[in-house]
Amino acid sequence: MKKILALALACVLVLGLFAGCGAKSDSAKVVYWSMWESTEPQGKAIAESVKAFTEKTGIQVDLQFKGRSGIRDGLLPALTANQVIDVFDEDIDRVNNDFKDYLLDLEELNKKYDYEKTAVAGLMDACRVAGNGTLKTIPYQPNVFAFFYNQKIFDEAGITAAPTTWDELLDACAKIKAVGYIPITCDDAYITCMIGYHLGRLVGEEGVRDIVNNNKWDDPAVAQFAADYAELASLGYFSPNVASNAWPAGQNTELAGGKVGMYLNGSWLPNEVKDTAGPDFQWGCFSYPAVDGGVNGPETCNYGAQVYAINKNSKVSDEAFQLIQFLTKGEADKKLSEYSVGIPADTTNTEWPALLSGVKPVMDSVSVRWSWAVGVESNVDITPAIKENTLKLCGGSITADEFIQNMKNAAG
Amino acid sequence: MKRNKGMIVAFLTPALIFFVATFVYPIIRTVMMSFFKIENVVDSIGKWQFTGLANYIKLLQTPIFHTALLNLLKIWLYGGIIVMTLALLFAVILTNGIKGKKFFRAVIYLPNIVSAVALAVMWQQFVFSNQFGLFKPFADMGGWAWLDPEHKFLSLLIAYCFGMVGYHMLIFLSGIERIGGEYYEASRIDGASRVAQFRYITLPLLKGVFKTNITMWSITSVGFFVWSQLFSTVTTDTTVITPMVYLYNQTFGSGNSVTERNAGLGAAIGIILAIFVVIVFWVCNRTLKDDELEF
Repeated sequence: MKKILALALACVLVLGLFAGCGAKSDSAKVVYWSMWESTEPQGKAIAESVKAFTEKTGIQVDLQFKGRSGIRDGLLPALTANQVIDVFDEDIDRVNNDFKDYLLDLEELNKKYDYEKTAVAGLMDACRVAGNGTLKTIPYQPNVFAFFYNQKIFDEAGITAAPTTWDELLDACAKIKAVGYIPITCDDAYITCMIGYHLGRLVGEEGVRDIVNNNKWDDPAVAQFAADYAELASLGYFSPNVASNAWPAGQNTELAGGKVGMYLNGSWLPNEVKDTAGPDFQWGCFSYPAVDGGVNGPETCNYGAQVYAINKNSKVSDEAFQLIQFLTKGEADKKLSEYSVGIPADTTNTEWPALLSGVKPVMDSVSVRWSWAVGVESNVDITPAIKENTLKLCGGSITADEFIQNMKNAAG
Repeated sequence: MKRNKGMIVAFLTPALIFFVATFVYPIIRTVMMSFFKIENVVDSIGKWQFTGLANYIKLLQTPIFHTALLNLLKIWLYGGIIVMTLALLFAVILTNGIKGKKFFRAVIYLPNIVSAVALAVMWQQFVFSNQFGLFKPFADMGGWAWLDPEHKFLSLLIAYCFGMVGYHMLIFLSGIERIGGEYYEASRIDGASRVAQFRYITLPLLKGVFKTNITMWSITSVGFFVWSQLFSTVTTDTTVITPMVYLYNQTFGSGNSVTERNAGLGAAIGIILAIFVVIVFWVCNRTLKDDELEF
């Protein structure tokens, strides 16, 4: 009797172990892996909108907040293991590159639901470029990377127009310094964007990638960057903390704290620092200025978006697209914009958050897209050295020549 | 006792299957992967491209990997000396009958139950901050900043050691408490001082505990990842990069940019790190022999 009981219990245990493996997905349910955390403004807006979507359409959504690292590290293994995931999101370049083998072509669904009519044309184009000529992703929460500034400091310094050239930037820095403020600061997390943008202005993104991937540190553009930034440092235009600012010290305590005039960052910045900056902080924004002898100007920028994608193996791709359309249009898009102080993706949502009013002219003026940091981080082996030496250059602890020599040494 | 072979097989087989599936297979697969170029860590074997020793040769020729190894060595050696010294000191003090032993033991161990993320934020934003940090006056005296590229490693080492002392102190503590009180009593009657007791009783009888502590320290040092990531926001820093961070960057990509990935190279780094731990363990076994001790 005992043996039979033991055998029965063992069987129950084994069945219990394998019970989860046999679970089948409900065909009417869309499984959405989100890159956000449920506590973030984006997560809250998406959760509310998903609920509204289900109420409106009757389509069930299994919304799972995975966070950035959950998507970056966990999505690919899950997709490879054929886990049921219908919709996922992340940065435009990462989705179109890292998850490219699992992306459904969305051109047909785009036509069927007439999606593009109210989408930002430039971003849809960017998605097609990233998708090798076809639409595999749908952009939402657009962003642009540019100089953000404190309008009050600019007014006090008598700067009436945002700088468009390097000389105008130097002039603005001089005026800001003259009225007792620090012109520019940065955090360690974004310092590579500064060298990326400057080199990008001089030689374009392909040129930047050529320099960092083929270690062409004796390129004249590198020398000019180093000289220009060494000049900024020697004139005292960088914060004395620039080399030691661990994110978010620079943006929170220096820029939002009202001590510093400018900071090169993404349009998510006003949202990130709004509690520190307070309601009276007036934001301004301008594209990285043109540099003497450069090949492009303020019309070229790193702009992009988070994007939605549908798993090519999804059995509910139509419902998944309906969900994406719902989240990126109308009320849901407006809600996301309001909660996260972000740029709307639906062109009929013409009202931007007040904090981003200065960003709109910049976003409207850019026409050529750069990827993140203008490709300066594309070589894993050299990025740490770029970061270290740019911090040192901005902090004034090395000269322009030492910067070049250090980079050559780091390249081996 | 009568042996029932059937029962032995029945009980051992599931454990053996799980052991092979979760330990032996991953080890064999990792060794194999290190000889291939693999874009995605989850790619099927059919997609792997055989490259022979190319991954190991590339590691030998890559300056940033050498820097990562050097950083690891410094964390292991300098950090090890600091942590073991403080841990042993606290353990000895706490076993000498001081009042509030439980309280102090809990306080010293406390950092181990706090999230590393919270600790790193505390250290960087409130202790090492160049604007209002607790330790700012020390840096000001030398005219430098704790978190600038020249001193970030030192800052990281201090923060990391602070968190690790409690863990190793507990191991020493358990070792000291295992030593019978009669040895100390007898030596005291013979006129031995506290220092002499420590030198001739405590230290020799802690050989085995030292071996355990050094091995545990080596294993955690080799897996040094979270603190390095937390001290180098988004993009990796030369000053605090470790082999595990480089492994991650190669396997999953680095920073916000899309970068070339090679899980085979990551596997090769894993093999090198495993060999490092085996060497440390072997050296410990050879030099710290405690087989002759009985107490």
